[in-house]
Amino acid sequence: MSEAVIFLSMVAIFAVLAMGLRLPIGVSLVLSALVGSLLGGEGIGLRHLVEGSFGYFDTILIIVSAMIFMKVLQASGILDTITALLLKTFYKRKFFLLITVMGLIMFPGMITGSSTTAVLSTGALVAPVLMKLGLPRVKTAALIAMGGILGMIAPPVNILVMIMGGGVDMPYVGLTIPLLIIVIPLAIIISLWLGYKDIKTIGFDQMKAILPESFFKKYGFRIYIPLLAVVVLMLGKSVFVQFTPDIGIPAIFFVGSLIGLFCGRPFNFFKVTQEAIKEAMPILCILAGVGMFIQIMTLTGGRGWTVISFLSLPPVLLYLGIAVSMPLFGAVSAFGSASILGVPFVLALINKNAIITTSALSAIAGLGDLMPPTALAGIFAAQVVHENNYFKVLRFCLIPALFELFMGIGVLLLAPLIDKII
Amino acid sequence: MITLKKNFFSALILLFLTIIICFFSAFEFLRMHENKKIYPSKGLSTQTKLSTYFKDLQNTPGDTDVYIFQGQKKGGNLLILGGTHPNEPASFITAVLLVENILVSQGKVVIIPRANSSGFTHSDSQEGNPQGFSLETTDGKRWFRYGSRLTNPIHQWPDPALYINPAGQRLSGTESRNLNRCYPGRIKGRLTEKIAYGIMELIKKEEIHLALDLHEAAPEYPVINAIVFHENSAELAALALMELQIEGFEFRLESSPPNLRGLSHREWGDYAKVRAILLETANASQGRFKGKPSASLIVNGKDKNYVKAAKLGRLFVPFDEKGIPLKLRVARHLAAINALVSGLKELAPSIVVELEKMPPPSLVKKEGIGCYLRAQK
Amino acid sequence: MQFIYHLIVFYLTVNLIWYLFREKKFWNQVSTAIVLIIFLLRLFLIK
Repeated sequence: MSEAVIFLSMVAIFAVLAMGLRLPIGVSLVLSALVGSLLGGEGIGLRHLVEGSFGYFDTILIIVSAMIFMKVLQASGILDTITALLLKTFYKRKFFLLITVMGLIMFPGMITGSSTTAVLSTGALVAPVLMKLGLPRVKTAALIAMGGILGMIAPPVNILVMIMGGGVDMPYVGLTIPLLIIVIPLAIIISLWLGYKDIKTIGFDQMKAILPESFFKKYGFRIYIPLLAVVVLMLGKSVFVQFTPDIGIPAIFFVGSLIGLFCGRPFNFFKVTQEAIKEAMPILCILAGVGMFIQIMTLTGGRGWTVISFLSLPPVLLYLGIAVSMPLFGAVSAFGSASILGVPFVLALINKNAIITTSALSAIAGLGDLMPPTALAGIFAAQVVHENNYFKVLRFCLIPALFELFMGIGVLLLAPLIDKII
Repeated sequence: MITLKKNFFSALILLFLTIIICFFSAFEFLRMHENKKIYPSKGLSTQTKLSTYFKDLQNTPGDTDVYIFQGQKKGGNLLILGGTHPNEPASFITAVLLVENILVSQGKVVIIPRANSSGFTHSDSQEGNPQGFSLETTDGKRWFRYGSRLTNPIHQWPDPALYINPAGQRLSGTESRNLNRCYPGRIKGRLTEKIAYGIMELIKKEEIHLALDLHEAAPEYPVINAIVFHENSAELAALALMELQIEGFEFRLESSPPNLRGLSHREWGDYAKVRAILLETANASQGRFKGKPSASLIVNGKDKNYVKAAKLGRLFVPFDEKGIPLKLRVARHLAAINALVSGLKELAPSIVVELEKMPPPSLVKKEGIGCYLRAQK
Repeated sequence: MQFIYHLIVFYLTVNLIWYLFREKKFWNQVSTAIVLIIFLLRLFLIK
């Protein structure tokens, strides 16, 4: 059986199980990977299945710990306190609110290079404020998802560029300006596009009426300590790395969560963990399943076939190929897309300045975090606003994602010009 | 109560299944931890460990065998590093081939076949690679592991999100497990940085003059079939290139970029002041375009996707239906080592290294690697 | 640092097993079991 047939059968089986039989997406992926392995003549391929899911072990740790942190923020009253603070500051300044909110969402992504981290930390903080000021739930989620993705692309830390740079021996130097050229206009346009129409400026009395209970009076400044601890530890690694230990994102969230035990309303840590696991479980299983799916796809030759098919596009269609394949492949994860397709595309565009090409390609690959079934940014943004169907969120992400896509392609096309300017 | 019981039993069954799956897959994963024997030639003077040079590596998965061949006559000291990236088999196999065959009459040759020994104990996730491959020797089959580019995460964990290496370069976090980004190493660093530090110490204590780091790269990678040289070895590299061309091996010269830090060819030269050179051949089994991964792809190097990619102009080496087999890649490494050693003789007669019984590259290319190896005992 | 991560994985593994027994929906239990595999293998430092 040819690799293409095996791959397409795997996709078909996945579709039947997930959409026809309505099995959970993660389980459908696992089963379709298993069938792929059998069709490819590899037997059950147990070692490969398990090995594949390990590709996301670190991501899974980040997600669970971020989810626990988010639940701690809610349970301890920190979330309400911050919402109250932001509302009091911004209730009558719409433009300023949107820009600040966008910056806040992006911030954890900028310093960790992970959109999930952004969505689940500051994304969760600003969501209630936006909704209270009139932004519909799903639009709020869309704004948070896009903010997370822009944060992932923005300097100082862009892991996507680092991955592509690693593949072509380009050091991570001089990326700040090209990345800012891409991110700043997008951040402004997208936050206004999604929020300006719906956000209402309100009077003081109205604001008072919707203000959640602040625990600042009761617990004082210490209510902010968990959040500050997380910010300092995250900054530590990218700003003053020599002085702070780099403990990794999961441990940072655990530290923040444990400090949260002593800084606000009391709560049961084990129960909070159980809630976090319950909410994160669908995506954890999807990640494990995607890992298996990719490993079997590679094992049976499907990955090579897919990559070569995209690269076989005639040169005129190269940019179209980039625009379509990189976000599509992001269903694996934006990082996977950067590594598997990003590197060959950088090489295909080798006559242009690699710093600019990788920056632009990272913006396009970043959109992969909106691509189902993983759609990390979309799924978590939906969870932050308690929306069960993340496709509703993705619908509102479509236009902003197109802005980002055009920006990426535009920068690629204008690379020689930008090269001269910077 | 009834529903509670029902879900309790299903949980019990699922937990049992999970444990069974863990048990059977663990069996396969643990197989990679078996260190296969290397059978040194009669010319071996001392076999030691990297931890002799840096005590902290003792009893860690980073410790590795060091083979020293001391010649009768005084001369130069040569270091050959294989297995920096255990998914680049020509590098490891060339080092094994040398350990099992050579005699040294002048100078000293130090060989580390498994520079990142931890990387040999696992396979890369989502790459679908086989755990090893076998070669036919005169007295039977011999099995070799096919590992990962990176240190095993169970030996070095967790990865930082952002890695700033000992030379100050900012890299993605997984690169903290890439030995060839960790030079010159850190005394109190992560395991991979400690291995790098150990190698730097070895270079100093063994008073190495010329250090070679053997590698392979995907055919779509621009630095390939290349001699990458530190600027202190430009002349040597150029001399070697001429000799290689005469022998019919096409190589290209690449100068080590000064702003790409943490790599062997940069930091060995900068910190230890030795002549530092890295060699690359083309390995389809580690590439992004590879078709079905298999032991045959590793050994025979044939892949239809790469033939297609070559036609599309996406590769930096010629690639046709005949592929680029392991024997050719090993022969290239051997030829380059030969050429560099004879170049050294011409440039610096006081530090000559004389190697004997080295498998001739032209024969390895024609007859294969197996006839120069012993079978597994 | 490795010790701390070992602790984190231990804590989460315990939580996953607890959740596996508490969850009522069968397919959610299956999902949990799938995720549990990699946690157990990492906990025992096998993969």
